Amino acid sequence: MSTAEKKSITIALAGNANVGKSVIFNYLTGLHQHIGNWPGKTVEKAEGTLHFKGRTIDVLDLPGIYSLSAFSIEERISREYIATEKPDVVVNIVDASALERNLFFTLQLLELETPMIVVLNQVDMAEAKGITIHVPELQKSLGIPVIPTIATRGTGLDKLLNKAVKVAKSKKLARPARYGREIEEKIRRVTKLVKKIPIQYPPRWVAVKLLEGDEEIRKIVGRIDPKIVSSAERHAGDLERIHGEPCSIIITSERYNIANKIARKSQRITPPRGPSLTERLDAMTTHPLVGYPILIGVMLLVLFTVFTIGGYLSGFFEDAMEIIQGAFGGGAGEVIGEGLLGGLIAGIAIVLPFILPFYLILTFLEDSGYLPRAAFMTDSLMHRMGIHGKAFIPFILGYGCNVPACLGCRVMETERERTIAAFVVTLVPCAAVTVVVLGLVGAFVGIHWALALYLLNLVIIFILGKVAFKVLPGEPMGLIMEMPPYRKPHARSVLKETWMRVKDFVYIAFPLIIIGSVVLTGLKVGDLLEPIGDVMSPVTVGWLGLPAITGVLLIFGVLRKELTLVMLATLMGTANFATVLTPTQMIVFAIVVMYYIPCVATIAALVKELRWKKAAYITVFEIAFALLLGGIAFRLLTLV
Amino acid sequence: MITESVEEYLEAIYRLGERGEAATTTSVANELKVAPASATQMLKKLAKQRYLKYTPYRGVYLTPKGKKIGKEILRKHRVMEKFLSILGLPKSRVHKDACELEHHIPDDLERAIHQRVEGEKTLPPGAPSDVVSLTSLLDGQKGVISFIGGGRGASQRLADLGLTPRTEVTVVRSALFRGPLMVSVRGTTLAIGRGVAARVFVRAK
Repeated sequence: MSTAEKKSITIALAGNANVGKSVIFNYLTGLHQHIGNWPGKTVEKAEGTLHFKGRTIDVLDLPGIYSLSAFSIEERISREYIATEKPDVVVNIVDASALERNLFFTLQLLELETPMIVVLNQVDMAEAKGITIHVPELQKSLGIPVIPTIATRGTGLDKLLNKAVKVAKSKKLARPARYGREIEEKIRRVTKLVKKIPIQYPPRWVAVKLLEGDEEIRKIVGRIDPKIVSSAERHAGDLERIHGEPCSIIITSERYNIANKIARKSQRITPPRGPSLTERLDAMTTHPLVGYPILIGVMLLVLFTVFTIGGYLSGFFEDAMEIIQGAFGGGAGEVIGEGLLGGLIAGIAIVLPFILPFYLILTFLEDSGYLPRAAFMTDSLMHRMGIHGKAFIPFILGYGCNVPACLGCRVMETERERTIAAFVVTLVPCAAVTVVVLGLVGAFVGIHWALALYLLNLVIIFILGKVAFKVLPGEPMGLIMEMPPYRKPHARSVLKETWMRVKDFVYIAFPLIIIGSVVLTGLKVGDLLEPIGDVMSPVTVGWLGLPAITGVLLIFGVLRKELTLVMLATLMGTANFATVLTPTQMIVFAIVVMYYIPCVATIAALVKELRWKKAAYITVFEIAFALLLGGIAFRLLTLV
Repeated sequence: MITESVEEYLEAIYRLGERGEAATTTSVANELKVAPASATQMLKKLAKQRYLKYTPYRGVYLTPKGKKIGKEILRKHRVMEKFLSILGLPKSRVHKDACELEHHIPDDLERAIHQRVEGEKTLPPGAPSDVVSLTSLLDGQKGVISFIGGGRGASQRLADLGLTPRTEVTVVRSALFRGPLMVSVRGTTLAIGRGVAARVFVRAK
């Protein structure tokens, strides 16, 4: 197909986090979008299509990042995509109220020499901060079109689309900005060498990356001609001797100098008199005294809302579930009816009712800018568990349900931090575990024993979190995050984001829940439960000192942990557990249920955030750990 | 006369405090790569000489006298490190040699090197060298970044977010319990964990 006939155009949206990128993406693509993962990565990939003037336009929303330095997977994916997949046009969305930092990223995009436009978003917020930007001046400095917009109101977005299509058709490549004389001289020399080898990236960009010592590019070039790498190293060494800093920092500084110059030339700042409302809100929510009560209040409100709405929806769906289930008879019908449908409805009745309000509130808090404040306030506490402030919200949510908590761990930037956070979160006793602990130990052994189990749990979390922090490979990364100003959440974006996330979760979790349910019902119908209980008895009876029947309960608990208690009552034929279990057995059983495995929906969430291998490690570790702890508890308690 | 090893101990304890870590027998021993037993002995000796307060199993606190020396040696160490890396010495030698030189370099020579290294000639003679870690700035205080130490990942990340050498930063406020710092830089606000911030060195304004 010749390029002239090509009707479809690919637009890639790129920019920092918190610049209104998703608002623009949602506006452009409406409901014609889907979120998946980048192949082989746990990074979200959002794509959508729209029709514009007889053309099909594919829009790809790249992750929100601050640089292309390959610090995180997101950064690597983004630059890899732009450099090798070559979208028809890159739309760089820039926050007008933080021009300098945003232009730093723009300058890096320019170096990828691709057709490109700049969208100057949130001009209203910039004006509130007393910043006015002279668009023609900015356009002249960057050498590419600049479109001012207010995405939340839809202002300027049609113009954006027109311009993007025009630039895509013209195929006019952006031109990199020039550095200082010394650096340019080195870039020129290295570029000359790079031009001689076949490589799909722009030669100048490769030269800059080599001087910066970028690991990935060094590897790629090194495989073709290692002499180029060592030559670049020498040139970088020259620069380091002059400046006394690592070459990557020299180049980063230089980029910021250019960004600063362009920003100063094209913007006028008249500082507003007195602090604005958002600044006062910020000061209050991060205040050493007032901030903590606010934080606790917000958290309670979140938990309360999620569980009130969740409980209500859950009850509603459960009624529906009973009606549908009644329609199926025994035998094979039971496997299908109870297993398949039961699993489906369990997903709808148990997981969805809590996921939905959770995502809504999380997206709302994220959009408003409160999340970074909460992270700021709790960083030092979370450090003691081997994670940092950003993991606070997932951690607290874990007490409600581990599933959204695990999904919430994606706010951690590096793989390492994300893994530790997800691991810690799965150790937090969720509401279902609380039902077991309170219903068994709290009711029949004593509430102080139940509290002791929770205390023990906290100690274990602190210890295991620290251990994970120590043993996982990679550079530990402390908290470094932007604190965007508070803003009014954009209702449509929040709703759409929530919808996409829920949909995404259903795709991953439901198959697992349903398969699990079918398998278990199959076992039940095939009368295999008792033999399995017998097979497990060396562990349950021998090691843990529990009745053999608990083996079956523990298997069912994988589906939903509170099932262990419900089924205990059914199988024993009594809800007065004191008649069938000794206090020691109750405590041991509760301990095992607390730790022994993340439930199947949590495993699904782990798979989604960390992929199969790590999810499997965590699951296996927790089973072993629960058995170890349960066995020790059994022996200690019988001594007493 | 203060021995080199006394200086080393005071410097290590001061550095731990700057990083926001508690100084204990174990952490001091780790920092100096000596056996905990010899650290205990030395800490007791230093306590007797009133450089620090030492309660076994609790922790170590520098007295004003000890703090002054610790701070001075650490400052000299950093100035020498910077100087040596400008001379083009390999990284492996920079730290080792700075550890040696910090005990021998006279104050006025250090000041001269510092000024040359920083390209700053306006400091009046006798003014103290004032490169401090970001964590030692007060809320609302400004500083100009001198250099960023520590791992490559973290320092590149900080630079990407605008914390590059010779940039002005303002500490907006810091969280309780050795929590993170909120700083404003290039018209934006960032939160930086204390461990990370301890490796950002600024000239206070």
